[in-house]
Amino acid sequence: MIIIGEKINGSIPVVAKAIAERDAEFIKARAVAQANAGATFIDCCASVPEAEEVETLHWMIDCIQSVTDLPIAVDSPSADVLTQAYKFCNKPGLINSVSGEGDKIDKIFPILAENKGWQVIALLSDDTGIPKNAADRLRVFDKIMAKAKEYGIAPNRIHIDPLVEMLCTSENGIETNVEVISTVRAKYPSIHITAAVSNISFNLPVRKMVNLGFTVLAMNAGLDSAILDPTNRDMMGVIFATEALLGLDDYCMEYISAYRDGLFGPVKQ
Amino acid sequence: MSLENVHDLVVRGKAKLVPAAVQETLDEGVEASKILDTMISAMDVVGENFKNGTIFVPEMLIAAKAMKKGVEVLKPHLASGAAGALGKVIIGTVAGDLHDIGKNLVAMMIESAGFEVIDLGVDVPVEKFLSAYEENPGVKIVACSALLTTTMPALQETVTALNAAPWRKDVKVMVGGAPITQEFADKIGADAYTPDAASAAKKAKELVAA
Repeated sequence: MIIIGEKINGSIPVVAKAIAERDAEFIKARAVAQANAGATFIDCCASVPEAEEVETLHWMIDCIQSVTDLPIAVDSPSADVLTQAYKFCNKPGLINSVSGEGDKIDKIFPILAENKGWQVIALLSDDTGIPKNAADRLRVFDKIMAKAKEYGIAPNRIHIDPLVEMLCTSENGIETNVEVISTVRAKYPSIHITAAVSNISFNLPVRKMVNLGFTVLAMNAGLDSAILDPTNRDMMGVIFATEALLGLDDYCMEYISAYRDGLFGPVKQ
Repeated sequence: MSLENVHDLVVRGKAKLVPAAVQETLDEGVEASKILDTMISAMDVVGENFKNGTIFVPEMLIAAKAMKKGVEVLKPHLASGAAGALGKVIIGTVAGDLHDIGKNLVAMMIESAGFEVIDLGVDVPVEKFLSAYEENPGVKIVACSALLTTTMPALQETVTALNAAPWRKDVKVMVGGAPITQEFADKIGADAYTPDAASAAKKAKELVAA
């Protein structure tokens, strides 16, 4: 399971404060904590007005790569910002994200074509918005994959995000997400499928329960990547357990090793 | 007794039971407009409960659905336009922003408060907000939503354009969305900012009563 650590994001109030005050130690501490907790990528999102975004991301990326060798997921809603900010990374990482909207793909995919180590998250939304049903999201998916083929980007460099919405406003549970995930997985066995897990529980009590249940069901449908808090030990435990349960962990060795590394379970004194 | 029952059933979101309860109340000779007012005040209670954290979004949703079922039964007995008697409200998410769940909740609560809501959807350009006002006589409020820090400029642009319109004094402008603050709303010249759907409905009523 690919873990994209979500904790360095300016939409989190304490992080916004650290960014505004250029509190490097705060950002570095969050990067280290997530690296130690088993993250695969460290997501970096400024959440500031676009005019300041590139400069802010530069500072944030410098902080992160000064304390960890983990690749960075450069996170911005602006394709223009992404085309500039990715260069600040000292090794290939993950571009977060493109979608079917406007000319995002045509701005970002050429970069991926030139820089073979980079991966990208692709959201299944387009100029009509977030499609309401699975069939329409899969149509956006097909268009994205056609472009990927055009630019020579292999499926294993792409993380498809089926767009997880709040459970509490859904009329059919996660049926839409499961249909999208399993269809994408069946079409492209080597593609990655990711999700911002905690969106599912927004505005329900004891969100953790819903987040954990969703993760298991989504992994069962084919999710192999997720944007979440790796320092959440219960979540990490459930992820390792589910991989083993799905037959993806010979002799449960990954599960046992992660336990020994202290990623989940009782905190060792 | 039956009026109390209608109130209670709406608060509890009992959509299947509300139509019969409303019909019973009508049969007893209670005026349709009074029943409507009772359901509106039930939604006020729902809004308050949401704001103080005793209920969650799904419970707000089913209460609004229950009220909607009740309004369907009342419609033939109400004067035309009575269900949206407080006036029309235009709502939309600004250009460049596709987020709509919060905006939809606001629309639902404002409708439940007695307004007629015209929902322009997402990614709404400035011109569309303006032309929607001009095409719909009786608009009292224009409500704009932005969910990203990066679409806050679009919100500012929208409100600036609304402020420059010749009919600006006839309408109130409300704004909202996760990154929006009272400070930002004041800066861009909006009449009101609210942090959630329940306070939005309450504020909308205050704005038209003023």
